[in-house]
Amino acid sequence: METNIQVPKFKIGKRSYNLFPLWITFLLFGITVGGIGAYEVLTKGLQVTGLSNQVPWGLWISIDLSSIALGGSAFVFGVIVYLLRIERFKKVGMLAVLLGFLGYSTAGMVLLFDLGQPFRFWHPIVYWQPHSLLWEITMCVVLYLSVLMAELLPIVLEHPVFTSHPILDKSKFLRNLSNFLQKVSHFLHKAGPVLAVIGLTLSLLHQASLGATYGVLSGRGLWFSPSAPVIFVLSAVTGGSALLFLTSQIVFRVMRPGLVKDEVLLDLARLTGAVALLCIYIRAWDWAVTNYYSFDLEIALQTELLNKVAPYAASFWIGQILFAIIPGFVLLSAKRIKNMKVLSLFAILPMVCTVLTRWNYNLSGLIAQITYDPYTPTVVQNFYSPTWQEWAVGIGVISYWLIAFSLAARFLPFKGEEHHHEEAAEAAA
Amino acid sequence: MSDEIKNTDDHHPKEKISRRDFLLFGVAAAGTLALRRLTNPEAGSRAFGDHPTGEHVWGMVVDIDLCIGCKYCTYSCQAVNNLSDDMIYNVVTTETTEIGDEFFLSRPCMQCESPPCVHVCPVGATYIRDDGIVAMDYDLCIGCRYCGIACPYDVRVFNWYEHTEDSPRVPDFGTPELPPRPRGVMEKCHFCSHRIDYGLERGLVPGIDAAATPACVVACPTGSRVFGDLNDPESPINQKLQISDNPIRLREELSTNPRVLYIPPRAKES
Repeated sequence: METNIQVPKFKIGKRSYNLFPLWITFLLFGITVGGIGAYEVLTKGLQVTGLSNQVPWGLWISIDLSSIALGGSAFVFGVIVYLLRIERFKKVGMLAVLLGFLGYSTAGMVLLFDLGQPFRFWHPIVYWQPHSLLWEITMCVVLYLSVLMAELLPIVLEHPVFTSHPILDKSKFLRNLSNFLQKVSHFLHKAGPVLAVIGLTLSLLHQASLGATYGVLSGRGLWFSPSAPVIFVLSAVTGGSALLFLTSQIVFRVMRPGLVKDEVLLDLARLTGAVALLCIYIRAWDWAVTNYYSFDLEIALQTELLNKVAPYAASFWIGQILFAIIPGFVLLSAKRIKNMKVLSLFAILPMVCTVLTRWNYNLSGLIAQITYDPYTPTVVQNFYSPTWQEWAVGIGVISYWLIAFSLAARFLPFKGEEHHHEEAAEAAA
Repeated sequence: MSDEIKNTDDHHPKEKISRRDFLLFGVAAAGTLALRRLTNPEAGSRAFGDHPTGEHVWGMVVDIDLCIGCKYCTYSCQAVNNLSDDMIYNVVTTETTEIGDEFFLSRPCMQCESPPCVHVCPVGATYIRDDGIVAMDYDLCIGCRYCGIACPYDVRVFNWYEHTEDSPRVPDFGTPELPPRPRGVMEKCHFCSHRIDYGLERGLVPGIDAAATPACVVACPTGSRVFGDLNDPESPINQKLQISDNPIRLREELSTNPRVLYIPPRAKES
């Protein structure tokens, strides 16, 4: 099986350089920084963070929510490829599975550091408290990560090193192992529709529950909202698809020209645009319901305070509204624009919007805290700024994400063209 | 069937249980266990025990007019519960009434009847005792701090630091009665439940006998705090409630139904 992967070269005049080793070295440096931060956190505890009793969730939770959201394309394309059987999205779907796995494993890593007792991370799996949303999310994420692994394995095993490396002919054991792995891969591929159903169920459950985590807290007026779960699901689909579109440009158009047709990517862009607009439509109603059609003293006080604190006001109106509406319309008319560079540029915005939604959601309710004063309830402003240890851990996990993605983009074939695949395609046709 | 029984008697049971049966049995057993776990009434009441089943239900009344803001309650709590200086279970703040009078609001855990913190805990580390006290299991807590976010009264305190030295309030305000908790777990006021348990074992009456009563109540120099069994009509708290009008509870609109009640401040004569 020939793999024809073109590594982009950096050109100065006539000489061209392969920057890939440099890029990996740079990312390894990032992981080292993360390691230092992780060491600080694990040895000294959460006292090294900028968190407090008033703002107990900060940067890490935002990274965690964002990376889960940006991995949201995996379940969407599991459904599109295996249940709706739209075969042209198959290769894009393989990339989506990779992004999903990276997003969820990143989230798992950050969450580990966010626990006061990191070595009790397994407690929710053993000590059930089924009434808790956080318990449900933990179980869903653990199970879904397993599903993603099962979906990812055939994609990794597709690499020729597992089937046609010369060393396989020299050792009988390795050859048998290779055959066994191919059988596993074949089995997992056949189980694709089942995995897609399980993945869809688990994803919808916990993506919604992440919103409900905030939405059920009646003590925090600004958060207490039944639309939070819907917004979280839709913005995860938006951000996930936007990231998939962006990475598809690199993986398919730049590095594997001709593997995926441009029309497929344009369809992907249109899907992203459509969901972005749907999400912002519901977000706008949510805003109107809480700020225009009803009046709640606490929410009004909180909103007033947040409007004064510049980053929150700007990040809501610019980050969450404009960054969804503008790229929404641009991406929706992808077939007319057709310029992939312009579309890629606009595909960044929904991702920023998704991340900002998570950041805002988490911090707005904590920064503007309602007091318990029985007569003159007020809203006090809490402060939070991440320390270097928090940034270091953040840089570390993002470097992990990038390094794993880079290696996959560089080496995995993303062909999905084994013989049984073709049979399935013929059967479907 | 009879073959199987016969075979069992022959001490060859293994051959008659096929792998399929074995797996089926395994799945059924696991399913039953999981269902039992989910529907276990005991586990449910641990999380959602809206109505305590115990003989006693402990409550506290704070007479706001009697409070002078001396913070003895805070200090004695820190000493008795073995807290570091930066950890405060019982916060005293200055608030104002609608007409602008200032008053002191001392705020322990409200011991809600329907506590948001218990509902959200992913591992069931915080739970409702038989006597209505919302307590912590420090061995279960993973330190996710969701309870701190859910609490509408801001009474949950996280153990950010390793506990190294006693509170500076020792020994003036009491001696530590509990072992220090590990770094990275959530803590909260528990109505000095260790004192209540100790007292009941010895026939003392919490709310009357000092050794069985929360430290803050004992330390209060003005008698602003009254503690007792809400089920017992003769208890100090019920007697106090009978002679005072309109006790209030904080953020009542949230339906958490706190068991800490406040007797509102009367308007000052000016």
